[in-house]
Amino acid sequence: MTEVILRDVAKKYGQLSVVHGVSLTIPDGEFVVLVGPSGCGKSTTLRMIAGLESISSGTISIGGKIVNDLPPKDRDIAMVFQNYALYQQMTVYDNLAFGLRNRKVPEDEIRKEVARATQMLGLEPLLTRKPFQLSGGQQQRVAFGRCIVRHPQVFLFDEPLSNLDAKLRAQMRLEIKSLRERVPTTSVYVTHDQVEAMTLGDRVVVMKDGWIQQVGTPLEIYNQPANRFVASFIGSPAMNFIDVDLVEEQGRLRAKARDFSIRISDQTAALLRNCKATSVTLGVRPESIHLGSPPADIDTAFTGDVAVTEQLGAELVVGVNAAGATIMASRIAPDTPIAVHENVSMWMNPKSLHFFDAKTEAALR
Amino acid sequence: MIGMLAAAFRRGVFSIGILAIFVLFVGPVAILVLTSVRPASGAYYIWRGTAFTLHNFVDVMQQSQVVKAMFNSFVLSSLATIFSLGITVGSGYMLSRFSGWIQRSWFATIYIFRTVPYISWVLPLYLVNTRLGIYDTYIGLLLPHIAVHVCFFSWLMKGFFDGINPSMEHAALIDGCTRWGAFYRVALPSAMPGIAALAILCWLSTWNEFLFALILTGQRTPMITSTMAQFVTETGTEWNLMSATAVIAMLPALLVTIFGQKYVIRGLRM
Repeated sequence: MTEVILRDVAKKYGQLSVVHGVSLTIPDGEFVVLVGPSGCGKSTTLRMIAGLESISSGTISIGGKIVNDLPPKDRDIAMVFQNYALYQQMTVYDNLAFGLRNRKVPEDEIRKEVARATQMLGLEPLLTRKPFQLSGGQQQRVAFGRCIVRHPQVFLFDEPLSNLDAKLRAQMRLEIKSLRERVPTTSVYVTHDQVEAMTLGDRVVVMKDGWIQQVGTPLEIYNQPANRFVASFIGSPAMNFIDVDLVEEQGRLRAKARDFSIRISDQTAALLRNCKATSVTLGVRPESIHLGSPPADIDTAFTGDVAVTEQLGAELVVGVNAAGATIMASRIAPDTPIAVHENVSMWMNPKSLHFFDAKTEAALR
Repeated sequence: MIGMLAAAFRRGVFSIGILAIFVLFVGPVAILVLTSVRPASGAYYIWRGTAFTLHNFVDVMQQSQVVKAMFNSFVLSSLATIFSLGITVGSGYMLSRFSGWIQRSWFATIYIFRTVPYISWVLPLYLVNTRLGIYDTYIGLLLPHIAVHVCFFSWLMKGFFDGINPSMEHAALIDGCTRWGAFYRVALPSAMPGIAALAILCWLSTWNEFLFALILTGQRTPMITSTMAQFVTETGTEWNLMSATAVIAMLPALLVTIFGQKYVIRGLRM
């Protein structure tokens, strides 16, 4: 059983604090993705787990053992780096065998392990090549192989797909996914790409400025973002944010902005009344905004001038100027005739509205 | 018509350029080689006369001081290269990978010594060497050479290591190496082309060095460069013998350059 537990782990460089007290428990076999913009402390956290950075305060334990003062080689981990980090002067075979040779594993066994990994990753024809003779995708596959052969307790991935082009990245993402089915090792995966986070993670940890913003399954993160940052970071096109005032009208709660007034469902209204907030930010995902008029019982219609259209083939994305912002709506039928500057009416799905405190940006729920 | 004139003009400029390079670089060597195969009487009239001889070479090779100097220069260059590289590799790696007050002070030190004119080291070194009793010995010449090399080449070495991605060493640390193991087994082999280039530059710079050889050695430990200068005597300069010695001294340097060129270029491209 390999559980990885981070308790109040912090990192400081002199006076500069880059990770502030991260606490996280990763159960055996779970694949956790740390995601966030550059400088959010996700890579530093990973490197502290690996032992490549010292820990300023807090503890990290792997498999029940506190590893704070253990060098990387004694932590029984394997890591994949963004730039592959293959040993340039060694052949693919030697790259794969390097870690095992360091651990004085007999050559027969090394041969067996390398064969297993190369077969799994389709590397057999490349064994005698040097890294510079391989493409980016092949190099990263060798880097995965280097991890697999060692049977470590934990896999660490530091943005492994960032150096690959978009098409290859999508392909390698699937490969990691299928590899993960076959080698169910506890893994920590760092990325700035929300698609990788959503598709690969059993759980996703969203970080910003050295703080954890939210931990949850991909769907939890998507459907119940803890704050405005998480809501804006996950999802593409990004969530729309509209500053609104909450106004009681005839016993109903309405969200109002300039030329914009929608009714809030009773259930949500009860929650918002509880929070006693009047000035809030309304968040709504582009796919929850529809073109046309709403069904009779829904009162969330608004109108606006089309500012921009993006034809993606499978869908049309439309930006409409309304409520003092450009509100993006996606999943519109691609053959819909819409011209820029045209005045259109739209409506929001009342069940998909998010409300955030205008000051603290925390979700109101 | 104008186009043709312009082309002719360009060709003219190009030819003059080539000629200038030839006169500046090839010319002196040509005169040197020519002088070395003329008898003493012909040294001042190398463009005239038809008397050629290889006697100069035989003559200088029979002078024990010249042979000894060749040997000394060879041994000293090789020793200086080995020791300097040993220190330079460590120093360059440290400057590239670690930061702290030790690294900053070291960097400042070699920076200052690099900016000090070379000649201002030599006279104090003479005093130090005589005081320590190592004047005119291998060690007395070896130490200053190593010091100079370390100051000048640590920067280059730092550049080589800067060009090697440290994540390779991190991977090695995770793969079971110690910090030393990661340096020795992963970083060092990757820096090999650069180290080979430095070895050649190091060797050549000691072999060609004149000032230290002139001031810090005497009759006991002659160097090839200072020995060459001793053909200037009170009764005149033996140009033919000096040239023959110079041609012989050029050979090892020439060989090293020709065979090492590919490593130097590859290394400096790192």
